[in-house]
Amino acid sequence: MITIPVDGPGGSTVYDARTLPSNDNVNSYSFCIDLDGEWFTAAGAMIAYYGNVDFSGVAAFASRAAWVASRFSSPLYTQDWVVASGQGKLVIGDRGNDINSYDLEVGNLTIKAKNLLAFETGLELKQSIVPGFLTLIGTGKFLASSVGPVIFVEPPFRADPDALLGWADCPSPSVHYDHNWMAQSFMAGIQGMFGRESGEERQYDFTGAGTILMQSSELLRADSALLRLIESQTNLLDANSAGTLGHKLIARSQQQ
Amino acid sequence: MATLTADKKVLHADLSGDSVRAAQGAMVAYTGAISFKHAGMGGGGGFRAAVRQRVAGESITLMECQGQGRVYLAKDALDVTVVVLDNDKLTVESEHILAVTDGLKLDVQFAGLRGMTSGQGLATTSVTGSGQCAIMSDGPLIPLAVAPGMPLVVDPDAYVASTGQMQMSLVSGVTWRSLVGEGGGEPFSLRFEGQGTVYIQPAER
Repeated sequence: MITIPVDGPGGSTVYDARTLPSNDNVNSYSFCIDLDGEWFTAAGAMIAYYGNVDFSGVAAFASRAAWVASRFSSPLYTQDWVVASGQGKLVIGDRGNDINSYDLEVGNLTIKAKNLLAFETGLELKQSIVPGFLTLIGTGKFLASSVGPVIFVEPPFRADPDALLGWADCPSPSVHYDHNWMAQSFMAGIQGMFGRESGEERQYDFTGAGTILMQSSELLRADSALLRLIESQTNLLDANSAGTLGHKLIARSQQQ
Repeated sequence: MATLTADKKVLHADLSGDSVRAAQGAMVAYTGAISFKHAGMGGGGGFRAAVRQRVAGESITLMECQGQGRVYLAKDALDVTVVVLDNDKLTVESEHILAVTDGLKLDVQFAGLRGMTSGQGLATTSVTGSGQCAIMSDGPLIPLAVAPGMPLVVDPDAYVASTGQMQMSLVSGVTWRSLVGEGGGEPFSLRFEGQGTVYIQPAER
């Protein structure tokens, strides 16, 4: 018989289909969904499940169930999302990042697309005006990952775009450019003329009433949907400008 | 008798004249008089295991830590769990083995298709005997029970280890839709049936 020494409370109990928590965290880094019906989950977020669970692509599922189209109105993201349907216990994980569940009640919350892992079908998903962010509207539960614990702050507040996780109930942010910082020192001004930045001039400015969610890391993660979005926006450029942008991007990728 | 104690992300190996085998390069500090040497091919499974290991592309290189004192072992800030085996067998993804005590034998085992899908080589390591085995995981290990009538499906990338009498089969979610980029997101999963425990980590490799 194999035994695991007890390291901490709950940390070492052997779970089964009955003892796994119901719609609660297994530990800080994983969450167990008590599935009875449908949930939208990010592709690849499942790490284990008990019971009869079927995963199908959003578009494939929508052809069988008309309500999906009214809930999932972000065509750009259909490739990255699946519908988990059936009965069972579904364990969700995301590269060892912290996972938290949030409840929305007739509310709206915007969150970084890469950090959203799953949401109940009572919520409606829309693309945010801010690239790389998704907005959830309605009533229901959703799961989101963060690097380190989530920090809640209230506006007025300026956030580093990389560390920003999302915001609820307040107007979408505007971009704040810290020109004071540049004007303060002559050298910084010169650097600015040459396009050099400290990397902290660009911030998101939040006003009004609501809550802002921050994570304790500025880790950037590849988001294939964001790439597609920006690529489609380059259609606004004429051929010449597009070429210039291309050269700049090549130079940037060679620098890194 | 050497004892292994997990302290979150560090393993303490207390030696009193005996030895433990640990993943090469995992020593971060030690006290006392301890010597480190290469533990030979095949992770101690002998020449035949070494050959199989080559064929399977399994990479596990162990060192032998011998002497008197305490060795601190850690790797990539991964969580450490000590599993106690009493005349039993534990199947572990080789890259997750941090250390084993003397009474345990390591051997390479073919896992067939599963290794191909997760891109981790074609084999896993089986640990048999009595003693302690320290395994590493990205985030705390989650033990999930498998019983008759209660099969379990896991993501191959989250799978770390398993024990018990179980049949493992590959579930394919690949359809024609996957080819046009509209798949179920979980192209391959592992299905466990029988009686036993599966250990997973809350992260995909």
